[in-house]
Amino acid sequence: MKQVTKNSTMQTQMQGSFAKPKKRAMLKNSSIPGWLFASPWVIGLLLFYAFPLISSIYFSFTTYSILQPGEFVGFKNYSDLLHDGLFWESIYNTIYFAVFFVPLSIIIGIALAMMLNMKVKGMSIYRTMFFLPTLVPHVALAVLWMWLLNPGFGLVNGMLEVVGITGPNWLGSETWSKPSLVLMSLWAIGQPVIIYLAGLGDIPQEFYEAAEVDGANWLQKTWKVTLPLLTPVIFFNLVMGAIGAFQQFTLPYTLTQGQGSPANSLTFYVMYLYDNAFKFFKMGYASAMAWILFVIIMALTAVIFLTSKRWVHYQGK
Amino acid sequence: MRKTRIKLVKCNLLLLLMAFAVLVGCSSEEGAGSDNNSDSGNEEGQTTVKFWHPMTDTSGDAVEEVIEAFEKQNPDINIDATYIANQGEGQNEKLLTAIAGGNPPDVAYFDRFEVASWAAQGSLEELTDFAEDDGITKNKYYDFAWAEASYEGGLYGIPTTTDSRLLFYNKDHFDEVGLDPENPPTTIDELEAAAEKLTIKEGNRFERIGFIPWYGQGWFYGWGWSFGGDFYDPSTNTATADHPKNVEALEWMTDFAQKYGVEEIAGFTDSQGDGAMDPFLTGQLSMKVDGNFGVASIEKFKPDLNYGVTPMPTPTGKDHTTWSGGWSVVMPKGAENQEAAWEFLKFFGGEEGQKIFSETSRDFSVIDSVNEELGYKDDSIFSEFINILPKSNARPVMTEGSLYWNELADAVENATRDNGTPQEILEEVSDKVNEALEN
Repeated sequence: MKQVTKNSTMQTQMQGSFAKPKKRAMLKNSSIPGWLFASPWVIGLLLFYAFPLISSIYFSFTTYSILQPGEFVGFKNYSDLLHDGLFWESIYNTIYFAVFFVPLSIIIGIALAMMLNMKVKGMSIYRTMFFLPTLVPHVALAVLWMWLLNPGFGLVNGMLEVVGITGPNWLGSETWSKPSLVLMSLWAIGQPVIIYLAGLGDIPQEFYEAAEVDGANWLQKTWKVTLPLLTPVIFFNLVMGAIGAFQQFTLPYTLTQGQGSPANSLTFYVMYLYDNAFKFFKMGYASAMAWILFVIIMALTAVIFLTSKRWVHYQGK
Repeated sequence: MRKTRIKLVKCNLLLLLMAFAVLVGCSSEEGAGSDNNSDSGNEEGQTTVKFWHPMTDTSGDAVEEVIEAFEKQNPDINIDATYIANQGEGQNEKLLTAIAGGNPPDVAYFDRFEVASWAAQGSLEELTDFAEDDGITKNKYYDFAWAEASYEGGLYGIPTTTDSRLLFYNKDHFDEVGLDPENPPTTIDELEAAAEKLTIKEGNRFERIGFIPWYGQGWFYGWGWSFGGDFYDPSTNTATADHPKNVEALEWMTDFAQKYGVEEIAGFTDSQGDGAMDPFLTGQLSMKVDGNFGVASIEKFKPDLNYGVTPMPTPTGKDHTTWSGGWSVVMPKGAENQEAAWEFLKFFGGEEGQKIFSETSRDFSVIDSVNEELGYKDDSIFSEFINILPKSNARPVMTEGSLYWNELADAVENATRDNGTPQEILEEVSDKVNEALEN
């Protein structure tokens, strides 16, 4: 008895929340100390995460303004949103960004990772170089790119001029403002690249050797070996990238000082949510927006998960 | 089995201990915090007034001088000033959460046009009784400044500064193209003609632009009022953004955008900077609308610039007007040391505090006699700004001031970029603001 208890305690401690104790009896006896040890975090999570989350559902049905509790108005916030032009515009902007950014970040991320996976001297330096922009704070990144994309004396238009192209007024033009933002975001792509690199490192060398024996060329190896075996990592980055893209905030907010200029072409969903919550005293309205965003992201993630069975190949399955 | 139970008890004890340690840790930290406070000059019997403000540079110096003078006069009050970035400039979330959390500063420096909406939210202490007891009345202040600091008959802030907006023009450029530098444009037609003469365009690029209506302080409020429009009907509490004269003003701005090419203008303005890089200072822009604070940067970065100021042109060349904003000091809801805080508010907004602050910051005082005493009325440039103050407008005293401001800024962008007609766009603004006002 003593032995068993000791073992299972150890198990709980070592594996933490990953492993569910299989027998109820064990749970009864042994997981209580574990929970007690975890309680500061559990309580913190419930108090500072779950509680605000749940209460925001309630607030989304009220005219709560942070300073005043407001009244219960049922679904009015939600129905008002459907008639709010700027709400739809912010959705359009956000989807536009996600549709261009997420696929591009995957394509460019994989391409970069494959290049950074070559056996060349000084590779760690190259890898560091491509990861560095990720460490730049978003606010600094915004200021930096404002200079680079400056239509008058910016480096980007200067380079275009050299090859005889008159560059657009990137951030001042309704047509180009969102592509500019995609470009900026792609610059700080280091995080997914690191994950792709790990994924590439995970592919056993034998597959390539076997492919070579069969006479496969580089392209065939990439399409038939590398990419299929990289799909679990692509899947992860797709989900995370989509969630991140829908929550785009810091970059456009600092770029436009919260105005979303020109002509609201950079007003993203979360920016409008923030304005409602903290500028216009409409926290209830903002909560409703937050839950709509939650449902959108949830649905999108669900779709990605459902389709994943068709295109994600796990090794050893 | 029994042993496990003992273990459990031990665990519980340990946990309790831990919780206790955490609690003690927290409270001792708090104790240390208040100790620190008392170190910073809080002697026996002194009251500490927490003051949050967003001022740096010259106004930062000015506010320090005000505090110093106040503390000298009131040895029993200690002002603990904290710089809060961007407070009052559309980023009040720190103050907002402090008030909601019941731990606000005693005094906050606050943009006056938001006083009404914050008062309506019940987030500011009413100052009416304090003011009545000390005999502080509206007579001393400019009408619009007092009106902006009040909401539904109650006083919620003490005005501290004000400003006005005029047309700046480069006299050398006027000479160069054969315009009379002593007779700047007074009508919209004259303004357009002058702008056309002053503009130099090479290919697709502007070497110099005569005038950009929405540049600098050329906010729509100023043009709407200059065209004879109005933005708010206090009797019905409705926004009137689609006032026919406002529509005319926006149509004029849209025509201007089409004539010069809005994208090209944006390309030009986006290449410009602030401060020393301001296109008016570098000679790339001949005329602009700016506030009296624009004078300070000219004095600082290009003191030899040969320029003049004149009221914003109107369609008729008469009834010139402008609009004024400015700041105030308020007492957030739940302020602890209200008596002491009021003393500071009173001093800041009184003649003495006003004189100290205005002299260093070069912001206009809200008290006419102080502006006169500081010689603003004798200065050829400043006097123009001061003289228009009695005819100036203030942004509507309403609960949705921030929303209205944002919507109008968007309206100009949307109209000049052809996303709808001025009429439609301004109707939408009215609808949206009115809907928010009803809630």
